[in-house]
Amino acid sequence: MTRRPAAAAVIDVRDLVVRYGPATALDRVSLHVDAGEMVALIGPNGAGKSTLVNTLSGILKPAEGSVSVRGRLAHVPEGRQVFGDLTVEDNLRLGGRRYRERDTTPVHAILPRLADLRHRRAGTLSGGEQQMVAVGRALMSRPDVLAVDELSLGLAPLVVADLVRHLQELNAQRGLAVLLIEQNARLALDLCTRAYVLEAGRIVAEGSSSELIADERVSAAYLGGVVADVE
Amino acid sequence: MRTVLLVATGLVTLALPAFLDGAQLGIYILAGLAAMITVGLSLLMGQAGQISLGQASFYAIGAYTAGLLAVHDFPPLLGLVAAPVVAAAFATVVGIGVLRLRGHYLAFATLAMQLILLSVLAQSDWAGGAIGLQGIPRLSVGSFEFEDDIQYAYLTWACLALVLLVARNLVRSRPGRGLRALATSEVAAAASGVPVGRYRLAVFALSAAFAGLAGGVYAYYLGYLGPGSFPVLLSVEYVVMAVVGGLGTLAGGVVGAVAITLLVQILNDLGTQPGMPSYAPSVLSYAVYGLLLVLVVLFLPRGIVPALTRRERS
Amino acid sequence: MSSELAGYLLTGLGTGCGYALVGSGLVAVYRVTRVVNFAQGAFAVVGAMCASSFLTALPHGIGELAAVAVAAVVGLLVGLVATGTTPQSALIVTLGLAVFAYAVEVLVWGDQPRSFAGLPGAVSIGDTRVQSHYLLIIGVTLPVFAGMALFFTRTDTGKALTACASNPYAARVIGLDVRRMGLLAFTIGGALGGLAGVLVTPVQQITFDADVTLIVNGFAAAILGGLTRPAVTLAGGLLLGVTQALVAGYGNAAHQTEIALGLMIAVMIWRAARRPAAQEEPA
Repeated sequence: MTRRPAAAAVIDVRDLVVRYGPATALDRVSLHVDAGEMVALIGPNGAGKSTLVNTLSGILKPAEGSVSVRGRLAHVPEGRQVFGDLTVEDNLRLGGRRYRERDTTPVHAILPRLADLRHRRAGTLSGGEQQMVAVGRALMSRPDVLAVDELSLGLAPLVVADLVRHLQELNAQRGLAVLLIEQNARLALDLCTRAYVLEAGRIVAEGSSSELIADERVSAAYLGGVVADVE
Repeated sequence: MRTVLLVATGLVTLALPAFLDGAQLGIYILAGLAAMITVGLSLLMGQAGQISLGQASFYAIGAYTAGLLAVHDFPPLLGLVAAPVVAAAFATVVGIGVLRLRGHYLAFATLAMQLILLSVLAQSDWAGGAIGLQGIPRLSVGSFEFEDDIQYAYLTWACLALVLLVARNLVRSRPGRGLRALATSEVAAAASGVPVGRYRLAVFALSAAFAGLAGGVYAYYLGYLGPGSFPVLLSVEYVVMAVVGGLGTLAGGVVGAVAITLLVQILNDLGTQPGMPSYAPSVLSYAVYGLLLVLVVLFLPRGIVPALTRRERS
Repeated sequence: MSSELAGYLLTGLGTGCGYALVGSGLVAVYRVTRVVNFAQGAFAVVGAMCASSFLTALPHGIGELAAVAVAAVVGLLVGLVATGTTPQSALIVTLGLAVFAYAVEVLVWGDQPRSFAGLPGAVSIGDTRVQSHYLLIIGVTLPVFAGMALFFTRTDTGKALTACASNPYAARVIGLDVRRMGLLAFTIGGALGGLAGVLVTPVQQITFDADVTLIVNGFAAAILGGLTRPAVTLAGGLLLGVTQALVAGYGNAAHQTEIALGLMIAVMIWRAARRPAAQEEPA
């Protein structure tokens, strides 16, 4: 995977409004992710985090405001969402179909487990393996930024740690920007340098991870009230 | 405002038969009967989210029930009362089996039901076979006999009024309101204690009863019945009426039925003009039904009545 | 086995192939778009009618292929209209299109039954003679089903279609053009329906309203597999065809409709009993 030239903001969202019929899911949300950054989006269930990611990947349309993505964005959806009836290899190749990327070897290099599981039906894999398939499928499009929705949901900590390590490597070695959407705030803030807090469709807090961890309200609501060290 | 409109419409339609001639009374009656059937179908499609492609079977069942009882010398009034009951019973049996499944299952089940019914009727000598029942006596209540078309017109008016009354009570019942309040999700409705399954079955059975009653009136009015009077296309016609008028609303059912009945008459007149080929009437009606279904669903998805009431409100 | 029975089996398998093809068209469309395509039977009628016209000018083989191609285009047109709305509304839309098709069919071909010659000759099984054309029907249908299976599991496009069917949301996430996939599914459905009409008409005249029987039987075959499994649809179609042939042969020909449709309703009720009501919530 080649490194793309640095751009100012890979994701730039301004005053985004998204509606479901009469209900407003996102109310004037603004955020940005710069090239090579790892940014977290935390908040409770139903805050609109998935709505935001769906808008970023083009599934939902903004009612107002703007979304601009420079380069390619790949979306790792909540709940893995692999194609259960197809093999791991087929899942990967479908991930590259949009951009006519058919070679799965680079992804095998990053996630070697996927090479071993190549011919298994995706529906028969464990949760952690499926999550890896979902990430691999996203990587197939040679993205500049990865939007990962609820990576840790339903997975054992060891498995999550393994996936997180891969993401960190991709970020450090290849400059892949990551927008990490997580209910597990501690994990997200440990991993990312900057974060936004989304509640009921609005950004209620933003800043560097250390700032947010030190923020009493955020800490109380999402970190169990204990101010932790950032590595 | 609504009540005034309702009363006015009721009075006008009640007075109307006095001014109509024989052929026009026939149209009035057919429109009224179609309205009875369409109101039930409209509720089924709008509130229960199910499509019936066999409402004409309940029409047929009602008609044959009344006809057979009358032909075998039972009091005609009994036939008229039995018609909706028998039709509802049929619907209950089919509905219990199929209503829990998605809409398209009922669509095919009712279509299959009608095909089976038509096939059975055509082969059954006791029902007159392919030729049908002849010589059904006039409806009589006690010593009063319904002889003239205008009397059947008033009878139709009365039956439609009855149907609307029952339908209105169903819609306003607790399950009915509960279902509408939770229109987005039946699962949510069921979780809140709304007896979704039983309500749906009730709507289906009632829609059959309405159609059966209409069939009973039809049998006495016309005096003869045959399987050929109840083709599958007739069921499709009722769907067109329901969709055009507006699903789920009572007024929509009536408006749709009247509009399409009149439209069919116009098309018939057009199609039988000198110089038109013999298949012109059917080609015209197929084309219009098809186009109406497609265009209304795509561009006026809630039908005429809701579109009008929304305009009046805004 | 008596030769009479063998004869019924053969003709039943033949007509069953027709039902299976119609049913598989329903499956192709439903899997990818979640639309129950009421115009599926109309594809068969259009295909058959076109073949009856083309074969007056074109040789056998070419005429039938051209007719199937026309049916595929009709499928695409139906798909264009039907994918413009929700799956639930699309049922009524396809119903409307099927009725509109009547108008076109009667206008172009009239309202009388039509047919054309198929494979000439007959085969003898003991004392019974069965038209050779039935062998052609079976001989074409089986490879078509095999080909479809290969298409959906071995080709990239086929796998993309399977993906859309398997997880429409994920398909959109990875940027598959779900609408185009849907149109492709409708085109395939059109071709399959057209093929059914073209294959069966030489042994069973086609009328403009034959689509009702075809689609009801096709649906009966397809729901055995929940509208999503082509192999089960094939089995269902064959079973249906054979049952009808046996009833017609040994019982009363007029009852075959009731038996077949009664079977279908029974299967539906059985499915209802197996699945709790909550699972049937529309997506």
